Amino acid sequence: MAASLLSRSSGRVVSLGGRRHVSTTASVSSAVSKIGSREVVGHGFNGEASYMDRADYPFPAVRFREPSAEFKALLAKEKGDWKNLSVEEKKALYRFSFCQTIAELKAPTGEWKFCIGFGLFLSSFAIWIYIWMKRCVYSPMPESTTLENKQAQLRRMIDMRIDPIDGVSSRWDYENDRWKSS
Amino acid sequence: MSASTHETDEEFDARFESYFNRKDIDGWEIRKAMHDLLSEDLVPEPRIISAALQACRRVNDFALCVRILESVRNKCGNRVNEIYPYVIQEIRPTLDTLGISTPEELGYDKPELAMEDVYEIH
Repeated sequence: MAASLLSRSSGRVVSLGGRRHVSTTASVSSAVSKIGSREVVGHGFNGEASYMDRADYPFPAVRFREPSAEFKALLAKEKGDWKNLSVEEKKALYRFSFCQTIAELKAPTGEWKFCIGFGLFLSSFAIWIYIWMKRCVYSPMPESTTLENKQAQLRRMIDMRIDPIDGVSSRWDYENDRWKSS
Repeated sequence: MSASTHETDEEFDARFESYFNRKDIDGWEIRKAMHDLLSEDLVPEPRIISAALQACRRVNDFALCVRILESVRNKCGNRVNEIYPYVIQEIRPTLDTLGISTPEELGYDKPELAMEDVYEIH
């Protein structure tokens, strides 16, 4: 690890305690070491030699698997007539180049159920907090909020002739002591 | 200049078809051209797809053929039941000549394998 760090830091000669270390692996790009012996086959989606299954960029830059011994025979057979390939071999070839099919990529994950369930849980939690506040924290509602008191308040406004031009008293028929019709 | 850069649909199809028909095309160029083609707001003409499949045959890449068919199917969007059978019907001679299986014949029209979510592995 120390040697690789040293070599990555620069390609120049590093002098440590009189000894001279010369890096021999100066110009190996980090991407090549990450993909092993996988074949770089295209541009991918951003030009990096990386693999990702994407429906909008369906052709990644590298093949999914390394050309190990178990695939050698199959890859040789691919060079011949494809009619000689069995369905299993065709599928193996596909999985050699790609990890997931596009159908698998776009398969529903069912995560929406979790999202809705968790959202409803949070909502119910908020309602329980409201119930608790109502029971244990808030004072009782003032008596002016009862129907009887609200009616008395309205009667008083009418008797005081509040807002007689276009407000509440303008709609009251004082001669018959009831609301004007229409 | 602006008049000369206008490309009719026919010219567009011919441009891609002749690109895929190049004898010295390589896998990089097939993927690049397919990405360009799929980034357009269209479903590729069957003759372009046939040319692309022929190009895959020349570079001996079977998986690329299946992936191309899958991505064309994906391009059909919510009219896949209308457009995709027509495409397959039109390219059927090419498929039979080259021995290419459609994604449906390989069972890839539906998810086959599940993959563990990377966020739930540990």
